[in-house]
Amino acid sequence: MHKMLIVASSEFGTLVRSKAFVLTLILMPVIMGVATLLMRTAKDARDTTDRRFAYVDHSGIAGPVLQAGAEARNATAAANGVARFQPVEISAAGKSADELRIELSDRVRSQEFFAFVEIPRDIADPDSTNAIRYYSDHPSYGALPDWIRSTVTRAAFAERFRAASVDPSVVARLTRPVASSNLGLFEREASGAIKAGEEVDEFRAVGVPAVMMVLMFIVIMASSPQLLNSVIEEKLSRISEVLIGSVTPFELMMGKLLGCVAVSLLLAMVYIAGGLMMARTYGYADALTPAMTAWFLLFLLMAVLIFGSIFIAVGAACNDLKDSQNMMTPVMLFMMVPVFTWVAVLRAPDSTLSLALSLFPTTAPFLMLLRIALQPGPPLWQVLLSVGLTALATVAAVWAAGRIFRTGILMQGKSASLAEMVRWVKAG
Amino acid sequence: MNDAIVLRQVTKRFGPVFAVDNLSLAVPTGSIYGFIGPNGSGKTTTLRMIMHIILPDEGEIEVLGSRGTAAARDQVSYLPEERGLYKKMTVRRLLRYYATLKGRAQPEIDAGIEEWTRRMDLPGVLDRPIETLSKGMSQKVQFISAVISKPSLLILDEPFSGLDPVNAQVLKDAVLEMRARGATVVFSTHDMSTAEKMCDRIFMIFKGRKVLDGTLHEIQEEYGADTVRLRTAAGVHACDGLPEVESLNDYGQVQEVRLHGDAQAFLQRLIARTTVYHFEVTRPSLHDIFVRIAHPQDEEAGVS
Repeated sequence: MHKMLIVASSEFGTLVRSKAFVLTLILMPVIMGVATLLMRTAKDARDTTDRRFAYVDHSGIAGPVLQAGAEARNATAAANGVARFQPVEISAAGKSADELRIELSDRVRSQEFFAFVEIPRDIADPDSTNAIRYYSDHPSYGALPDWIRSTVTRAAFAERFRAASVDPSVVARLTRPVASSNLGLFEREASGAIKAGEEVDEFRAVGVPAVMMVLMFIVIMASSPQLLNSVIEEKLSRISEVLIGSVTPFELMMGKLLGCVAVSLLLAMVYIAGGLMMARTYGYADALTPAMTAWFLLFLLMAVLIFGSIFIAVGAACNDLKDSQNMMTPVMLFMMVPVFTWVAVLRAPDSTLSLALSLFPTTAPFLMLLRIALQPGPPLWQVLLSVGLTALATVAAVWAAGRIFRTGILMQGKSASLAEMVRWVKAG
Repeated sequence: MNDAIVLRQVTKRFGPVFAVDNLSLAVPTGSIYGFIGPNGSGKTTTLRMIMHIILPDEGEIEVLGSRGTAAARDQVSYLPEERGLYKKMTVRRLLRYYATLKGRAQPEIDAGIEEWTRRMDLPGVLDRPIETLSKGMSQKVQFISAVISKPSLLILDEPFSGLDPVNAQVLKDAVLEMRARGATVVFSTHDMSTAEKMCDRIFMIFKGRKVLDGTLHEIQEEYGADTVRLRTAAGVHACDGLPEVESLNDYGQVQEVRLHGDAQAFLQRLIARTTVYHFEVTRPSLHDIFVRIAHPQDEEAGVS
């Protein structure tokens, strides 16, 4: 036991000196800073570059509305922090449609225009299926096409109402949407007073759970893969042989795992402390409850032990760095599963997929944590089952890794195949 | 307790290959014991079994009077042939780590580090990472890492290989110092003259079997005084076609000849042919004995 702690403290010392750890620590203020900036500017971060665009108006009614709309928009664009749009009419006279398109495309390419748009002849006809054709080399910029669509639609509506002898201002008044708001539940406080449901805060409802899960991922990624390098180095330079002259293989492996756990906890604590400080500034100090922190630490502990064991086993089985990289890829992909699936869990926390993923031991630490953080949270039996299964998997992983480690670290020559590793586990 | 290490009928197989075959051996306490043998003959396997790094398939190994796996662990230090050092660690951290693992206390360790770096002539390396050290320096650090815990038994795999004469001498002195402090030292080597000069007893293993075991004198007695060391004007051609020559080892200026028959008759024939500068009837060197046992072609076919 004593020697295990000596190994753990040495491993801890090496890990906190490693580049990955230092980088992750530096990354923390950077991530916090970027998050702060994003939060501060997310609502009014706009691209305010002027957008000059060409339009070919076959309808004869959209052009004036576009011009008038752009004028109205541009008058307040600076104050609203939005881009100004400058429509330029292009005549289609005397050219075939494709020739004109080629010409306009070239002018967009030469940056004379940002985009060009063709407005079909029969927009006022409610039965028409002809579309507004918007051409640009910035497919991801949505503000301009959205504005053009709504403006042209307005022009089409106005024309249709006029044709039907309906007063557009009456239509606008009669079709105004009903207002709605998204609230939490009422509660009765201890004093008996009734507490009204508050407006749902997107960040509190979705942001906090997501941040917790990402933090878990960062911490595990920064600590457990290091064990692979550590084991490989000891194996290749025969340090293992020197160490096995002093400690048992199991003590050595457990020492490494403990050192890794300690590093993870340190990282998590640094991040949580930093996060809490930032949360307080923005009035979210109560977003991270003690219970949530406890769940986080419990799942972190198990995840580090599981992934740490896997990395140790891979390190012990491999005989050069290249092999270990190859064997590491599937493990990494496995670790990434929560990254690919967490959005699905966020959208439907109680779906069968979410349940399965939050019970499966390698994804449970991430996704059950996410589900616990999402209101109203999963039923208790699911949480307990998830913890139980993950704990079982942790014990199994450490046990199997212990057997692979014992044989592997003294094995020189070629890297072991998966079949051989299984044999080592079975042989004991 | 007279013997630091006792092996009784120890056998270790790797698959179908007998790496060590029915080996018995006793290493007296306080002696320097040399392990020699061609590459792949079982030296390292034997050392590893003594260290309990690998376990024998058959037989019994007793280290410092104990048969248990880990009982004697803290009293035994092992130096593998490869470096066995963390590249990124500083020398001080590494030495402290290894010694703490052997159960030594911090003040004792720091005093030892101070003393050994002075003795090994390694000033100013303590806070440097191992990877910045030269081969000679890191080999010395490796040695310190093995002796810092004050072991009663020191097991060294090829401790002197690849060292320049100055560093080799420093390490040899350090080995003698450990013996003077009462430690038993076992080391393997390919350098026969080192084994001849340093070891109280020499053990040779060949294809997993013990072929020599004893003091240098005992071993040489066994192989008789049938060797002549000579230097002549004609060089190696002086011996061409002479009937007494059983085998000849040409060093260029000096030839070592193993004879069958009479040395005097051989000398007379030589004098008749050329000018003889030096003629010495001697015991075969350990080198010769080694080569006689392990012919080069056997070495090639040895177990790897």
